[in-house]
Amino acid sequence: MKNVYITIVGNLSIRFDLHESMHIGPVIASANSNKSINFAYATCNSEIILQDMLNSTNFRGTNLLCPEELFKKYVFFNEVTCLPDFPGLKTLEIDPNNCTPQCLSLMLAVYLQPKIIFLLGYDLNNPIEFTRLKSIIISNPDVRFAYISNAQTKKLNDLDNCFCDTYIKYQEVIDARK
Amino acid sequence: MPENKFYKYSLKLRWPSICRNRSVEILKERPDLVEKMNNFREKVSNVLKIVCRKSSYVDNTHSMTGIRLWFESGQDVYDFIIRQPEFDWEVVPTLDVLNIVTSQLQTFEIQYTPTGVVVD
Repeated sequence: MKNVYITIVGNLSIRFDLHESMHIGPVIASANSNKSINFAYATCNSEIILQDMLNSTNFRGTNLLCPEELFKKYVFFNEVTCLPDFPGLKTLEIDPNNCTPQCLSLMLAVYLQPKIIFLLGYDLNNPIEFTRLKSIIISNPDVRFAYISNAQTKKLNDLDNCFCDTYIKYQEVIDARK
Repeated sequence: MPENKFYKYSLKLRWPSICRNRSVEILKERPDLVEKMNNFREKVSNVLKIVCRKSSYVDNTHSMTGIRLWFESGQDVYDFIIRQPEFDWEVVPTLDVLNIVTSQLQTFEIQYTPTGVVVD
């Protein structure tokens, strides 16, 4: 069954109760940078972090998705799943083994084809990450992206299918669909 | 197949050597082979009940190579593979894993060594 809304928690720490986000759809964690809830999915491309996640009670019941190379080493762990072959990886020049976990989460969310993807704690300061985010947004015109942050940013305003909002507005979206 | 369980892993176990690659016509003429195959299937099913900590089952679909087994737990699959000398049977060296995100069955080559199992 397709989800209408998907929330991604990026690499940055956030001050928002993610239990609220679970009311509107699955929440995808980027590696172990956030351990506040039991996430539906979490992405990871580092063996050390994957081991930490496998031994952490916060990720019990979470589908831990990692690239094929790492998946083969942990194939016998029920929680570990292989990341799908994302379309357009070569054109976007993204290597799943070396990119950031938040980029993997974003690609996973796009693969699941929701209507809106909410980006929480998504790091835009790194120019490579920012360019990748823009490329992914542009190459998926059917999906709307909502960058949620309390800090005002105009970096993504030039994109048709992306908008920036505050956590208060995000909470209103959740409340309307509870 | 038991309901409400997610069988993520699948292995194929070869028939006893005398029963392999037999056509349906041959099997009709050789009830002794059919009996041997049925006994083999029953034995495997009983071993699965003893060995596995979580749910598993033998697929009813007939194959000329062997029988397909489905496991809920990866640790059970691992145990099953490394214990094959104990039961004197032969696992086809490929592991099928059902991907929960894509719903596709991914196939991996496995290398059995006395010290463990490696996935290629």
